[in-house]
Amino acid sequence: MINQKAGSVTFENVKKAFGAFTAIPDLSLTIEPGTLVTLLGPSGCGKTTTLRMLAGLEHPTAGRILIGGKDVTMLPANERDVSMVFQSYALFPHMSSLDNVAYGLESSGLSRKEARERAEEGLALVGLAGMGGRLPAELSGGQQQRVAVARALVLEPQVLLLDEPLSNLDARLRRRVRTEIRELQQRLGFTAVYVTHDQDEALAVSDRIIVMKDGEIAQSGAPRELYEFPASSFIADFMGEANVIACEVVGIDGTEADIRIGSLKHRVPAGRARPGAASLAVRPGAVTLAEGRGEGLAGRILHSAYLGDHVEYEVETDVGTLFIVDHAVDRILPAASDATLGFKNRGIALISN
Amino acid sequence: MATSDAAVAPAPVGGARWRYRLRLALREPTTVIAVLMAALFAYLIVVPILSILSDAATVQFGDERRTAGETGSVTIYYLYRAFASPVAHDLFWEPLLNTLKVAFGAIAISLSVGGVLAWLIARTDMFGRRWFATALIVPYMLPAWTFALAWTTLFKNRTVGGQPGWFEAIGLSPPDWLAYGQVPITIILALHYTPFVILLFGSALRRFDSQLEDSARILGAPGRVVALQIILPLMRPALLSAVLLIFAKCLGEFGVPYVLGLPVKFDVLATSLYRSIGSRQTGVAGVLAGAIMLIGVLAIMIDAHLAREARRFVTVGSKGAMNRLSRLKSWRWPASGFAAAIFIVSVGMPLLTLALSTVMHQPGSFALSNFTLDYWIGRDLPTVAMRTGILLSPDLWQAAWNTITIVGIASVCSGILGVLTGYVVVRTTIRPLAIFLRQVTFMPYLVPGIAFAAAYLSLFAVQRGPIPGLYGTTLILILALMADQMPYASRAGISAMMQLGKDPEEAAQIVGAGWFRRMTSIVIPIQKGSLVTGILLPFISGIKGLSLFVILAVPATDVLTTFSLRLVDYNYTQAANAVVLIIAGLAYGGTVLAQRITRTNLAEGLGN
Repeated sequence: MINQKAGSVTFENVKKAFGAFTAIPDLSLTIEPGTLVTLLGPSGCGKTTTLRMLAGLEHPTAGRILIGGKDVTMLPANERDVSMVFQSYALFPHMSSLDNVAYGLESSGLSRKEARERAEEGLALVGLAGMGGRLPAELSGGQQQRVAVARALVLEPQVLLLDEPLSNLDARLRRRVRTEIRELQQRLGFTAVYVTHDQDEALAVSDRIIVMKDGEIAQSGAPRELYEFPASSFIADFMGEANVIACEVVGIDGTEADIRIGSLKHRVPAGRARPGAASLAVRPGAVTLAEGRGEGLAGRILHSAYLGDHVEYEVETDVGTLFIVDHAVDRILPAASDATLGFKNRGIALISN
Repeated sequence: MATSDAAVAPAPVGGARWRYRLRLALREPTTVIAVLMAALFAYLIVVPILSILSDAATVQFGDERRTAGETGSVTIYYLYRAFASPVAHDLFWEPLLNTLKVAFGAIAISLSVGGVLAWLIARTDMFGRRWFATALIVPYMLPAWTFALAWTTLFKNRTVGGQPGWFEAIGLSPPDWLAYGQVPITIILALHYTPFVILLFGSALRRFDSQLEDSARILGAPGRVVALQIILPLMRPALLSAVLLIFAKCLGEFGVPYVLGLPVKFDVLATSLYRSIGSRQTGVAGVLAGAIMLIGVLAIMIDAHLAREARRFVTVGSKGAMNRLSRLKSWRWPASGFAAAIFIVSVGMPLLTLALSTVMHQPGSFALSNFTLDYWIGRDLPTVAMRTGILLSPDLWQAAWNTITIVGIASVCSGILGVLTGYVVVRTTIRPLAIFLRQVTFMPYLVPGIAFAAAYLSLFAVQRGPIPGLYGTTLILILALMADQMPYASRAGISAMMQLGKDPEEAAQIVGAGWFRRMTSIVIPIQKGSLVTGILLPFISGIKGLSLFVILAVPATDVLTTFSLRLVDYNYTQAANAVVLIIAGLAYGGTVLAQRITRTNLAEGLGN
């Protein structure tokens, strides 16, 4: 049986430069043992560099990296107690699935027989019992991905690293496999660091999400915290689509704040807001839409598009053009018609002032 | 979150930074291997070239009186002698002019013939396109001077001694201009390089999207305008690339002008260089080698520039591209006849002539009594130095053994070094080292073989420091051949490693495998195919190579090519032709075998 020994991860003032280009200026973070933490961000934000430094495939220009409390900064990848699932899976094409999984076990000194027994267990764990004889080319994308996970898991690493592990799968398989990975992590209790640029994936699998931008941490927190209380317009827009509009905080009452959006008054969680001008992130689904003029924010429909289970609108208002998703598909407001907008209680957050 | 209370580890500066980087680099043997390889290639490639260039500018032993300087002191005497003295015309200018004449003549003929054949194969419904696509590139698989020997077998006249050619033997004495010199050299080089045009131009034509032609026509352009403004500009990079590659090849071509130019003193740069080395004019040889290198470098640089230009046309052959064949209708048979005629002239006739000459006592006599197998397997022959048929001659087997060992060892070494170069270029963290390795291994490509051999002779002829004089040993041949093959070996290695990417090896590293285990269980097994190709292809080109060996081999280290050339010099026509046929057979068989093993085809897709 595979026993995981979860370890913590610490980055202390880590810097990484490639020649004159600094990918990571100064990064410090801590990952608790047994949690699944996602590094999320757009291309070039430094998330993969961070992961590769943790793996030992890149070395920091300055700073320290600790795994399970041990300084591993100078250790090469093969001497660190981590394992990794690559974006391309990086299965050895000339070896069977079983040999792929057994490879690391043999490298760590196990006899061939023992390594193969453990590899069989690993394949069974990911639902591929009996498929050890197949070459990677004879497996489907999802099966290859599971062999890569098994190869990483059988080594019982302190930390499992996953570098965009689902990006080569189709949408349906992606949903299934991400659930499997999460279940496996919770069942075995290992520490996992997961890199992705897909916020849905991050929201679905993570205990904690670290959003990165330009090599720095833009915001870190539980999925819900990031989605509902983005710290900046970048986070608001990156964690699902958002309209960022100007508002005014007119009063704070404990944990709630009264705000004014154009002519409309509304109450939202206060966060760290102070009275005065502020920005508000509004999810496209957090806006209510009524036909004609009424009590609320006046708007005019610029475009509407029917997409089966919802209608997308672009609506011009005094506070800017808003993108709205409306699930009332039996009523479609035509372009150039008047509308009245209101705001729901969820999906709307103050982001700065 | 970006900062924490943890103790700050400052970025190392100055010397500390370099010590830190060194510690990182030494964690993996990749960098150490890269440094060792850089040193090896610097010695095997850069130093010989510098050595021969310095020969051109320093007083050589024995020239003290003529140059009025001490041995080793700087002089412009050799530059003067090669470029401006009364003998400069014979040493440099006329050979240069002759080189240009045969090169441009060969280019003109091969472009005309190859261009038509490429179009017939790639874009028309000519009969037997598939067969011709492979058959017409056979000349490229054979050594060029195979055809030179076939030519002399047919056209040799009384100007030189020895056995006459067939025409002479039947009383039709060919004039000198037809038997030797510019005309036959040009024709033979043209026939040898026509496959180049077929391959380069044919594949460009194949990629050409006929929808472009259609859209130009729909926009109202007449046929002539379409050809001039659409097809020709898009084909231009491939055409010019073929021109420059043929030019660079002609520049270093030695065997053909040696066999066909020598009798009428028709020198090209390569033979003039050979003569200078033979007459121990080391300084002048340095100047000539330098001039050949310079022209070679210029040609390749222009080609590289054009290749960059050609990349701007990458939209050609995009998704949905069409390759519609032109219908030849009543011209189908004549077109096939033309292709067949070229095949007969460039492959059938030369090989048949050579083969027949080896089984005939008297040239040109087809009486049954004139045929014999003596030259292959006879004993007690009346010739002075060749008492047995070639297959019974120990010299042949010695030369064959030398070929296999010298070319074999060099190919295996360069194949392995090629894969290692690819590995360290892709994996080292020290970029300047990767760039140096990439460029230094490419350098011999810019230097024609004969100039490179001269460079080796310049460096290794005498003892230098701890390195003893290597002239006359097999080691100098192995080293020179190895270095000469590095451009192909390293390119193959680098592109294979690029294709493989870092992932499989990093995956092995992550699961705990050390460097040696990763190399033996992951990198080399995955790269097995490219390693085999990287060894086999240089082996085949080494077997038929002449210009490198002709300078560096001595009778004891004769390979098949130099052995056959010696037989030519002794006028043992039948024996020389037999050896050349053996080489041609080996080269052709090896190419076919290599294509089988690697499941590739030089003419891939051309006739499909």
